[in-house]
Amino acid sequence: MATQAHSLSYAGCNFLRQRLVLSTLSGRPVKIRKIRARDDNPGLRDFEASFIRLLDKITNGSRIEINQTGTTLYYQPGLLYGGSVEHDCSILRSIGYYLESLLCLAPFMKHPLRIVLRGVTNDQVDPSVDVLKATALPLLKQFGIDGESFELKIVRRGMLPGGGGEVLFSCPVRKVLKPIQLTDPGKIRRIRGMAYSVRVSPQMANRIVDSARSILNKFIPDIYIYTDHMKGVNAGRSPGFGLWLVAETTNGTFLSAELVSNHQGQGAAVLPEDLGRNCAKLLLEEIHRGGCVDSTNQSLALLLMTLGQQDVSKVLLGPLSPYTFSKKDCLFVQEAKFIVTPLD
Amino acid sequence: METKDPKKHRKKNSGPKAEKKKKRHLQALQLGDEEDARKRNPKAFAVQSAVRMARSFHRTQDLKTKKHHIPVVDRTPVEPPPIVVVVMGPPKVGKSTLIQCLIRNFTRQKLTEIRGPVTIVSGKKRRLTIIECGCDINMMIDLAKVADLALMLIDASFGFEMETFEFLNICQVHGFPKIMGVLTHLDSFKYNKQLKKTKKRLKHRFWTEVYPGAKLFYLSGMVHGEYQNQEIHNLGRFITVMKFRPLTWQTSHPYILADRMEDLTNPEDIRTNIKCDRKVSLYGYLRGGHLKNKSQIHIPGVGDFVVSDVSFLPDPCALPEQQKKRCLNEKEKLVYAPFSGVGGVLYDKDAVYVDLGGSHGFQESEEVRPTHELVQSLISTHSTIDAKMASSRVTLFSDSKPLGSEDIDNQGLWMPKEEKQVDLKTGRVRRKAIFGDEEDESGDSDDEDNKEMSEGDRLENSSSDDETEEGEDAEMTGKQYMSGKGIKRQKLEMEEDIEVDLPAFADSDDDLERSSVEEATEEDDESIEEEDSTAEEERDILESKAVREGGKPGLLQTNDLSDSLNLEKSLTMKKATLTTSDSGHCTAEEAFASEDESEENSSLSTEEEDSENEEVIRKKFPKPSQVVSSQKLVSESLIDETSDIEDLLREEEDYKEENNYSTETSGALKWKEDLSRKAAEAFLRQQQTTPNLRKLIYGTVTEDNEEEDGDTKEELGGLFRVSQSASECKHKADSLDCSRFHVEVPHDWDLEEVMNSIRDCFVTGKWEEDKDAAKILAEDEELYGDFEDLETGDVHKGKSGPDTQVEDVEEEVKEIDPNAEESAKKKHLDKKRKLKEMFDAEYDEGENTYFDDLKGEMQKQAQLNRAEFEDQDDEARVQYEGFRPGMYVRIEIENVPCEFVLNFDPHYPVILGGLGNSEGNVGYVQMRLKKHRWYKKILKSRDPVIFSVGWRRFQTIPLYYIEDHNGRQRLLKYTPQHMHCGATFWGPITPQGTGFLAIQSVSGIMADFRIAATGVVLDLDKSIKIVKKLKLTGFPYKIFKNTSFIKGMFNSALEVAKFEGAVIRTVSGIRGQIKKALRAPEGAFRATFEDKLLMSDIVFMRTWYPVSVPAFYNPVTSLLKPAGEKDTWSGMRTTGQLRLSHGIKLKASKDSLYKPVVRQKKHFNSLHIPKALQKALPFKSKPKTQAKAGKIPKDRLRPAVIREPHERKILALLDALSTVHSEKMKKAKEQRHLHNKEHFKVKQKEEEEKLKRQKDLRKKLYRIQGQKERRNQKSSLKGPGEQLK
Repeated sequence: MATQAHSLSYAGCNFLRQRLVLSTLSGRPVKIRKIRARDDNPGLRDFEASFIRLLDKITNGSRIEINQTGTTLYYQPGLLYGGSVEHDCSILRSIGYYLESLLCLAPFMKHPLRIVLRGVTNDQVDPSVDVLKATALPLLKQFGIDGESFELKIVRRGMLPGGGGEVLFSCPVRKVLKPIQLTDPGKIRRIRGMAYSVRVSPQMANRIVDSARSILNKFIPDIYIYTDHMKGVNAGRSPGFGLWLVAETTNGTFLSAELVSNHQGQGAAVLPEDLGRNCAKLLLEEIHRGGCVDSTNQSLALLLMTLGQQDVSKVLLGPLSPYTFSKKDCLFVQEAKFIVTPLD
Repeated sequence: METKDPKKHRKKNSGPKAEKKKKRHLQALQLGDEEDARKRNPKAFAVQSAVRMARSFHRTQDLKTKKHHIPVVDRTPVEPPPIVVVVMGPPKVGKSTLIQCLIRNFTRQKLTEIRGPVTIVSGKKRRLTIIECGCDINMMIDLAKVADLALMLIDASFGFEMETFEFLNICQVHGFPKIMGVLTHLDSFKYNKQLKKTKKRLKHRFWTEVYPGAKLFYLSGMVHGEYQNQEIHNLGRFITVMKFRPLTWQTSHPYILADRMEDLTNPEDIRTNIKCDRKVSLYGYLRGGHLKNKSQIHIPGVGDFVVSDVSFLPDPCALPEQQKKRCLNEKEKLVYAPFSGVGGVLYDKDAVYVDLGGSHGFQESEEVRPTHELVQSLISTHSTIDAKMASSRVTLFSDSKPLGSEDIDNQGLWMPKEEKQVDLKTGRVRRKAIFGDEEDESGDSDDEDNKEMSEGDRLENSSSDDETEEGEDAEMTGKQYMSGKGIKRQKLEMEEDIEVDLPAFADSDDDLERSSVEEATEEDDESIEEEDSTAEEERDILESKAVREGGKPGLLQTNDLSDSLNLEKSLTMKKATLTTSDSGHCTAEEAFASEDESEENSSLSTEEEDSENEEVIRKKFPKPSQVVSSQKLVSESLIDETSDIEDLLREEEDYKEENNYSTETSGALKWKEDLSRKAAEAFLRQQQTTPNLRKLIYGTVTEDNEEEDGDTKEELGGLFRVSQSASECKHKADSLDCSRFHVEVPHDWDLEEVMNSIRDCFVTGKWEEDKDAAKILAEDEELYGDFEDLETGDVHKGKSGPDTQVEDVEEEVKEIDPNAEESAKKKHLDKKRKLKEMFDAEYDEGENTYFDDLKGEMQKQAQLNRAEFEDQDDEARVQYEGFRPGMYVRIEIENVPCEFVLNFDPHYPVILGGLGNSEGNVGYVQMRLKKHRWYKKILKSRDPVIFSVGWRRFQTIPLYYIEDHNGRQRLLKYTPQHMHCGATFWGPITPQGTGFLAIQSVSGIMADFRIAATGVVLDLDKSIKIVKKLKLTGFPYKIFKNTSFIKGMFNSALEVAKFEGAVIRTVSGIRGQIKKALRAPEGAFRATFEDKLLMSDIVFMRTWYPVSVPAFYNPVTSLLKPAGEKDTWSGMRTTGQLRLSHGIKLKASKDSLYKPVVRQKKHFNSLHIPKALQKALPFKSKPKTQAKAGKIPKDRLRPAVIREPHERKILALLDALSTVHSEKMKKAKEQRHLHNKEHFKVKQKEEEEKLKRQKDLRKKLYRIQGQKERRNQKSSLKGPGEQLK
């Protein structure tokens, strides 16, 4: 009879996303045990369940088995199908959590993916949709994933705790990825950014811009930070404000940083001036780390490198983020290995 | 008359005429310097019509673009694998003869029996793997998938046979390799004309099947049972120079055509259970794509497996290295065919077997099973098994399995061969190379090293020779001891093992004298005590080996030792071995310790290290040699050994002397140079690779595993668990899944120096030298000002920034850094390249097209790919890119069914086809399928069929469907006769666009064409949408105007509710709609129609019912069948076959049987034309002869009526009366007629009179009228007054 591909077994809920994504890409079933087994609240969380549901929506023929307590998950991936999908994300994590995985999967669908995600667009945990739009999309373009239908649009902005944001992501299908040679980051030629505010005074954004500029102006004059104040239904359900900055280099590398205000009922209120200044400093940190790929997108770049043709791709990374670091253990699925050579 | 000779014509040599002639002559030879026609006759080439011009331009452009293929990155390996030549043909056509002749042609060797693939070197750059393909369809299918070239043998005296066409069709489906026809049996034609005709006919038939112009080769006749040399030679030439098109499936999948198979199963397991799953290693050239370890493979005829281990071996049939000469010499004409018993040198992972042929080679003895060997060896041993078991890591015999398998496994498999035993018996001498384990893995490089050495240095040569001889001797002694002393033999083996483990690191054996010599001696003593009497001899050998290890530092490879992972592993191994204290371990440990030392020392400069090494060697040498000399006397007792060892000793003493007095003889100098270089390399490598980083990333996996293990161990009594220490584990396992990289210790960005640290990252900051606009400008000026500077390159170096220059100088002072020079050179080269690129770009700008750009890009990528791994050794390279095609690999596979080994038949190809990412999964596969036009039957849905898709052959149950105009996939009961249809089956996922073929059965020989259908994979899915039509019928039971109540269609109200609004129809075509369920009869409903129904109407609804595909997937396991029955595999039978075999007749419903159609004869009445009409018709159309009133048939005759006399009387009276009456009537009629006539005459007269009267009257009237008018006119002339009067 049919010999099913040998399944992989893991313990613990860390890298759940990566494991499921790689399992889907490689077609090998995966079994994850002991998901928060010793926790007071054992089993899968809402946002993870929502993520699994999302996977189920974009694939065809996936088999998902979760035991009673939710501590064991068996996932047998189906075929990546794509098409028009809508998904309500859990508000425990922002849309970025889901979008990161979709960015890995979307180019390999059977039909072009066009998905509407609803939930929180910006929070303090995950990379926000704005940052992904500013950094991950140009990175994907380097791999040859491009076209008219390749877009990420923030229709509504939703902040914690209410949520109510809406994002439209569409991606064309690319069977073959171009190999990349990103070894020279180049010099930063400009800094762009956006200060956004919802359900607060529009003046907040301007205050953020001023403070951020005060720091960045010391390095480069070409800075433009937009302000974005969404109103009415587009502003989601909760108040909040934030800033994201992206530095673009002469060779098309994008480094980003972002900061969001504390949400309603969480800690002390944040002064917009402080937020702007801190965010600018975060960007400088990111620049200090260097590399041709933003620290949030390191794993994405590495994954796409392995999924491409069997050509040599090279990428220069800054210090590996813990998330990227974990990737190697997952990438055994692909039997991929990277040549790591330190740069002086 | 005298006839004078006329004056001879003289050619003119000068003048305009002569010149003209000369010109014409030259032109005829196309040498003339006349300008081209375009210039000479410009009018002829002038633009006549712009439209035509545009058209022709368009056409040429079209033709040009048609030639373009999508460029792909060139991934052909530098050393390609041998080309697979499949020799195919029906039986008795001359396949084996052809193969034999080809092999003889290329290698000058004659193979009597050919089994399995034969690899030969056919040219300087080409090798061939020739394999014969019989007419078993399994074999044909498998070989068509791996073939690069198919030689189709055709018996010309017979003509084409079905097998040929079948094979061609198989090839077509699976990518179409190059095909060449070979006509044999041409000598059976007596007449030349007939031969010519046959050739032509066959050629043209062949062309229609392959392509017009396909090469067909003629082998005219046999000479002494062989084909003619010249013809074979020509054929060989054709094959050697042939070019091949890459095939999609083959290039995208790694595959191996195995040419050797070994059973590695533990003999003990086989003994206990002969049917146990086997562990098997298969050898062959890797072809196609890159193969990665632990990937999935499929062996057609066996099944899916996971590769448990892959390693590459030195090429057993290598291409010649030097390519100076035009042709190969005899030494380079290699042939390799282990299945046929021709191999020369067999390489295993850690051993090399040299087959010297000789006089003792018996074929029969190869059949001996390892179980026999075990028994035999048990007989010959004198120690108990328990004793052997106790001493771990000991192999019983060179040819049996290692007993302490887990240890041995760790050390890198030391797998003996079964042939070895055979050879021992037969007396074939085999030499075991004494490479270390790691060395052997790095394989051929070591060998090459050896060779290089042997070329250059006599001393080295002799030592290496000794080495091998030594190894041999060791075995010999082993044999001797085996007969006498069992323990002795064990020990020897042990030593060998140890030596295998030895990471013989060359450059730092310095602690030999410092730390562990004492230990060594101590341990040695211990071992001596343990081993009683025999120990001395053994020690002798041991020591000599140790000496050699010291002596051959330059020889040994040091690559792998820098790898820290490896190191750790070996460390643990060594520790383990130490605990069981063996005689040879001192050296191992030392070597290891020295390893560490060398790592520590790595900060030292290379020169220092170099000198240190020399010292080390100098110090080291005396000791072992002394030891050896002390043992010399003892060792002399063994005749075989001593001579060798003496040689060795002499050599080593030479060494010693050379080193001690540092006499700079040429050999020693070379050796030393090598040493320093090696040391430098090792140092550099250590610096470059920085194992820390790799370890950091890849090394933590083991940690995790350990943690897991620890977790499981903490179980108490199987019920409770100690829930401690899990905190960090849990923290790790259940940590937040977030890709953000938070800054732990932010810098203080207000500080100036912190800010300065990143200032150069901005465009406003400082640029590197080669990018700074100002610098580049300045340089450019220099460049274009003077070209001489560019050439020398020194100038640029001088021009570099002052700080760097100083640094450079410093570096140079410190040590001769080759990097600095190299970088300068590189810079120079880069600059040159840049200039060239600029020039090229400017020069070619006009012609660059998008296509050219694309091609350039691909080429660049190919270069990059090559360059990336060029300088790495295979060992490291394999880790990153997998095993590349062209390598000779050994693949270990576990859990192979025992039948594979037991029923192994080398005639059948064993193919290991690598599977892609999800190709191991099973799902629904949709394909476009067409019944083959030569197949006699049509295929039925749900009948099992054997498919050949990708690598696989399997039986499955397909459903056939056809797609309707609206995209609905409607089930078909049978495939259409001459049309494509869709098919869906449950089976292995195969990429879209893959071709496939279907056959009804693979067993036996079928009379007709065997390929039932062909097609291509269209789509893969996990769900299917095939539907079949379902008609539900119902009957009206109450009819209102347009509304009716229908019953009998559904069974419940719920069903009705589901179908509310559905369209229904009557048979007569009245359309309607379901409205609502009714209460009264269950399942009845109200429906409305466009017209009133009749009670006799049948109402029906057309629905579509989804069909499920049976999940049946059964791989064809033909290789597991016993030898000789491999073509008898039969899987699931079709219902028809089952019925036939069980004699079950199908009970057909009587109504659906076909009956002869009985038609009632239609009777037509004769045409009756009324008389009036007949009259009116023209003569032509008038019915000429009235059909005679035929006799009235008897049945039409009325019976005669016979009357009574009384009745007759009455009748007569009535007759009479009627006659009278009729007479009366007749008379009356005549009278009336006359009367009427009279009356008519009278009437006519009256009428005439009447008319006359009327006429007169009218005349009178008109006259009066005319008079009146006249009067009126007169009065008007008189005037009004007159009138008034």
